[in-house]
Amino acid sequence: MSEPKKIDRRNFFGKMAVGAGAAITLPYIIPSSALGKDGAVAPSNRVVMGLIGSGSMGTGDMHEFMGKPDVQMVAACDVDKQHRESAKAAMDAKYGNSDARIYSDYREFLAQEKIDAVILALPDQWHGIIAVAAANAKLDIYGQKPLARTIWEGKKIIEAVEKNNVIWQTGSWQRSEAHFHRACELVINGRIGKVSFVEVGLPDGSPTYSAHPVQPVPEGLDWDMWLGPAPSAPYRGVCHWDWRWILDYSGGQLTDWAGHHIDIAHWGLGLDRTGPIEIDARGVYPRDGIFDVPVEYSIHAKYANGIEMHYANARQVPHGMGVCWYGDKGWIHVDRGERLFASDPKILEEKIGDNEIKLYRSLNHTQNLIDCIRSREETITPCQVAHRSISAALLGEISMLTGRKIKWNPDTQEIIDDPMASRLLRRPFRTPWKLEGN
Amino acid sequence: MKKLIFSFLMLALMAGGIFLLPSCKQNQAGKAPYKALIVTGQNNHEWKASTPILKQILENSGLFAVEVAQSPEGGKDMSNFKPVFTKYNLVVLDYNGDAWPAETQKNFESYVAGGGGVVVYHAADNAFREWKEYNKIIGLGGWGDRNESDGPYVRWRDGQIVRDTIAGRGGSHGRQHPFRVTTREPEHPIMKGLPANWLHSMDELYSELRGPAENLTVLATAWSDSAKGGTHQHEPILMTVGYGKGRIFHTVIGHAMGDSTQPAMECVGFIVTLQRGAEWAATGNVTQAVPYDFPQFNTESKWSLFRPLEFEEILANLKNYQPGDTRYNLQDLTNYIRNNNDGGEKYAKLETALLRYLQGTGTAASKNFILKELSIHGTDKALPVLKKLEKDEETKEMARFASERITLQYSN
Repeated sequence: MSEPKKIDRRNFFGKMAVGAGAAITLPYIIPSSALGKDGAVAPSNRVVMGLIGSGSMGTGDMHEFMGKPDVQMVAACDVDKQHRESAKAAMDAKYGNSDARIYSDYREFLAQEKIDAVILALPDQWHGIIAVAAANAKLDIYGQKPLARTIWEGKKIIEAVEKNNVIWQTGSWQRSEAHFHRACELVINGRIGKVSFVEVGLPDGSPTYSAHPVQPVPEGLDWDMWLGPAPSAPYRGVCHWDWRWILDYSGGQLTDWAGHHIDIAHWGLGLDRTGPIEIDARGVYPRDGIFDVPVEYSIHAKYANGIEMHYANARQVPHGMGVCWYGDKGWIHVDRGERLFASDPKILEEKIGDNEIKLYRSLNHTQNLIDCIRSREETITPCQVAHRSISAALLGEISMLTGRKIKWNPDTQEIIDDPMASRLLRRPFRTPWKLEGN
Repeated sequence: MKKLIFSFLMLALMAGGIFLLPSCKQNQAGKAPYKALIVTGQNNHEWKASTPILKQILENSGLFAVEVAQSPEGGKDMSNFKPVFTKYNLVVLDYNGDAWPAETQKNFESYVAGGGGVVVYHAADNAFREWKEYNKIIGLGGWGDRNESDGPYVRWRDGQIVRDTIAGRGGSHGRQHPFRVTTREPEHPIMKGLPANWLHSMDELYSELRGPAENLTVLATAWSDSAKGGTHQHEPILMTVGYGKGRIFHTVIGHAMGDSTQPAMECVGFIVTLQRGAEWAATGNVTQAVPYDFPQFNTESKWSLFRPLEFEEILANLKNYQPGDTRYNLQDLTNYIRNNNDGGEKYAKLETALLRYLQGTGTAASKNFILKELSIHGTDKALPVLKKLEKDEETKEMARFASERITLQYSN
């Protein structure tokens, strides 16, 4: 729909095709701020970025990227006036001007902003629609996990990203932490022998249980736009942060953390581009209040190579939070806070030889995106990988909702012999919202 | 309300086993394939509360027609207490009192040795320290001055069951509290399909039991927390014992209270393991499914009527639901649907009842909850009713969501 708008901005970095695009390229609009105080990186070599969703996660990501000398943040979009204005204030303070642009509607943002890349930090119900639109606008993307609220939307994001040659980095930053990388490299190179079982401990779901009566929408918040494709609902003070405890917007701690520890569990076994073949899950739902995501969950997943994984809230697994792989020669457990343990500490001193498997190395998760935007190489957590991490959790969610064991074909990405469960691979969108092209 | 229902139920049961729940299929005792006898009448525990509940639980399994052998009161003449054990497939012991006549003891021993099934329930393992064969049948016992001369403690230590002959008393418990039960024999028919760990509702955690422990298999243990006055050991909670050809299931849980709340006996974990243990003791097999609302790792689950609610009862409880109210009634509904969604006839009936509810007088919030459930489980049959609900301002959004979800195609 908006093809002339997007020029081959990759020429900008001089690493891409020099021919075709250049002919139709209009002069790139360099924000005046780009000529500002930081002289270390020439403005023409900076990656120009914007932000859709400037709540707590988006703001954190924005500061992370804004701290890089070769990044220029220029615009923010949020349905909450306070959020977008504070993002602008932060950008303006950083660059010592008042040039940052703000939007309340992502469609306007994408139509107006001639930038290189965008941070997407949105409630899950919005991930599919906005990621596809941003990819179609040919923006490279830093997308917060989970990739999408449903497997169907995840597949559509991948299609759009591949069609538009977009570079995508998922916010699964544990991959760029040395000790997680080390754990995965030890496991994948057989240092604990043949792995048969993996435990993945995720946070206990612990929303508060108050009644949340219907109340006036706060000034400056476009509540209908916040809901977007999710079912219309009266405002009960559940918006920023607490949206994660309602199934219309999220799958709770399970889907929030799948992109961390399930992602790592897959990575250490080379299973991060496939998925389980059988999923049997049990959830316990809140006994009071209006929240409806599982507060206790236990998902048993079998993979085609015979490996079984147990994803559960941490209290239910012996090693607690993190990932523990069990092989026939020992176990390795890894968690945040540089926690890395093994059945025998000597395992952790093992060297990985030249001829062994070397996993993708990134020392800084956000810098990895910037480097890949320049090189046009794949990031350490492309959307194809993020899709498989969240798919495993979403299949668990479906098993919990239906009360049945789910059989899954990870190649065709279809549920086998259960049409009722199959339709839960997707959610209906409220009119008028659609994924572009669908 | 719950207490009222409970008291009524207790009265009715005490009055002679009136079937006051006619819709409950399990109470058609005439059709039950096996006969069970509960032996009761004396106990340092509230047998007048526990025996009728045990009777109902066993009958609700649909497997047992249950009779009760009530002994004379303590201190009275026992010489005529002579239940005919061999008439039954299962004998359930809820007795801790005066010695049985020698003839009755002999009959019981030969009933068990000859292949009879036995359930040892809670304080029944406090009984009869001096009766040697009884102690072999229960495997482990407590109190009555039991000590190392009665046999070892049996505990779970370092990944295995150990028999500890160290000197010390037999039988104790700390303060009542909810505690976690951990499966140690996941492949045993009684345990198969149960969660590896589940939270039992407030109960006495029997500890330091000792006895002959011959042919004894510990199915599950619980950590006896010293902070609750416990032993700081993994104590056996569910056991099987072999005696001759007989099969014995021993459950130490299910302490009955004197008042109208029975957390330990309402626990779905107590009820279901009792039903499964009873079937195994009587037949050697377990055919009963594990219900969806079995307690989980950190979540208690209770049946206040000692059985799952009937569907019509669940719908009646939903009628006044408003957002923010407790979600127990909602969960009864989701659990019922998940337990009964066979994708066929059973579900079709269920859906018809749900659709009828949607056209009735329940609150909009309760209807919206059912619409969400229908969005997951519903079939095309629901669509005409959903269309109607789309005309109602209060239900239109969820009705729209449900009908769109029912007709949604993943492959598009």
